[in-house]
Amino acid sequence: MTAAGPAPPSLGRRLTSSEDGVAVLALALFALLPVVVSGYSIYILPQYMLHGVMAMSLALLWGRGGVLSFGQAGFYALGAYTMGLCYRWVPLVNPAYAGMLIAFAVGGLLAAVLGYFLFRAGVRSAYFVLVTLAVSIIAEQVAVSQSQITGGWNGMYIDRMSLTLGDAVNVSLFDDAPMYYFVLVVVVAVYACLRWLAHAKFGKVLVGIRENEDRVLSLGFDVSAYKTATFAIAGALSTFAGALYGTHAGFVAPSLGGVLFSTEVVVWVAIGGRSSLLGAFLAAIGVSFLSNYLSALIPAYWPLILGMLFLAVIIFFRGGVAGALARWTRQPATRSAGNG
Amino acid sequence: MAELLRTDSLTKTFRGLVANSEIDFSLDAGEIRCIIGPNGAGKTTFISMISGHQAPTAGAIWFKGRNITGLPVYRIARLGILRKFQTPTVFDNLTVYENTELAVLATPTPPRERYAKILRTLELVRLAEVVAQVVGTLSHGQRQWLEIGMLLARDAELVLLDEPTAGMTAEETHATGELVRRLVEELGLAAIIIEHDINFIRDLRAPVTVLHLGRILVEGSFAEISGDAQVRSVYLGDA
Repeated sequence: MTAAGPAPPSLGRRLTSSEDGVAVLALALFALLPVVVSGYSIYILPQYMLHGVMAMSLALLWGRGGVLSFGQAGFYALGAYTMGLCYRWVPLVNPAYAGMLIAFAVGGLLAAVLGYFLFRAGVRSAYFVLVTLAVSIIAEQVAVSQSQITGGWNGMYIDRMSLTLGDAVNVSLFDDAPMYYFVLVVVVAVYACLRWLAHAKFGKVLVGIRENEDRVLSLGFDVSAYKTATFAIAGALSTFAGALYGTHAGFVAPSLGGVLFSTEVVVWVAIGGRSSLLGAFLAAIGVSFLSNYLSALIPAYWPLILGMLFLAVIIFFRGGVAGALARWTRQPATRSAGNG
Repeated sequence: MAELLRTDSLTKTFRGLVANSEIDFSLDAGEIRCIIGPNGAGKTTFISMISGHQAPTAGAIWFKGRNITGLPVYRIARLGILRKFQTPTVFDNLTVYENTELAVLATPTPPRERYAKILRTLELVRLAEVVAQVVGTLSHGQRQWLEIGMLLARDAELVLLDEPTAGMTAEETHATGELVRRLVEELGLAAIIIEHDINFIRDLRAPVTVLHLGRILVEGSFAEISGDAQVRSVYLGDA
């Protein structure tokens, strides 16, 4: 209980007002990084940033809408394979453009159709999680079994993209720094769009659905339409990011869409703070880095460490790092439940 | 006054158990109606069918001359029929302002008029002073008022109030009665109220419908109802 008087603004608002500053700072640091650093970091960071885009899509879906999905990596892998197939099959236009566009559309459409039937039928919480787990398994299995198209276990090689504009412009992104900056621009654009969406009416209704679905429905909002739209946006974004990942990594294998990687995405978002887009993005990069480093150093123990980190967050920091920071840097919140 | 809501032989059975049986009910625009009856009489089932939370087994519901039987909850809410649940159903982790804002966002109110509408509503339900407070920290009575406020902010024409004074002090109950009267007299709303508190019902001076075993036992003024021998035996007698 708090005393009457000027009450502090909500945790959500405090989080976002401080988050904007951190976002500008973080993205500016990313922009400067290639000036001082070169080599492997600049090569690998865009991949982690694209993981981060996928994490942000889950932060929107789970953190705002309260809909947890273990299927985002399935969409990511779909995007990478789509990019590979575009390089093989699309004539005349720049296959990378076709790949990005088709990946976005196919991912969004697939998620919309799946979401439409699931949410109309009232599939919720744990049952929805199970279905999305199945999506990951299906994605991996299809990639394995359709080997004449996907290359099966051997995977598929994908060319690095170029930026073209008619015959006049042709900028190869084969080198690491140009590709890095291209991905960074994409990240900034995606973050800006998602941030806008989260603060618009759409985002507010999503938070309402997370907090009390019955009340939102009884106020006259078509809850299943909102959930379907959110799942479609998250699906489109993950697939789009996966397409870029494919052309950056130059290779995609079935495990990219598997349950293991899907679970890792959920862990990133939980650690970063599911109600913070930036938290999810940075956690994806940070944990991926750590994962890459430690899995080489102590391969046997890394999954154990990651699992314990996840448990610690679930038990002690329901709002993840972002939620904990927001609570410590400002006065104690009036709410005890936190924002997660 | 024009008829706002009508039900024709509205019936609901749950696996053979009859919850509502052929209820013919009519409510005028701007009317308050109390529904009373012993536990299990089918009161909540009745308003659940009007709000769309339950589909009738048989019969029809008409709102402003339009058949709304079996429409989904959100479509019925958009027509102006808004429901307050038995236990306060609000967003406990959000502020009073954010709660009311969500209700206003469900209306076609232009963005620059939303703020004024939210504050106007909160003044009406006596929550203007706690506008920035997180709802989970409010008293039970204040949460009940917030939920009623959200129905108003949603431009309700007919409010369905399921035990609006449950868990309230005598003082809060009295204030709630005044609030409901103001909604009807100043805003022209119609209300269907399920209540157990006999003093509250008497103070409202509204017509009463008595349900018993899923049927309408009798309808009339509070004086008529309390003098009715049948009602006394099934309900008031053991109150």
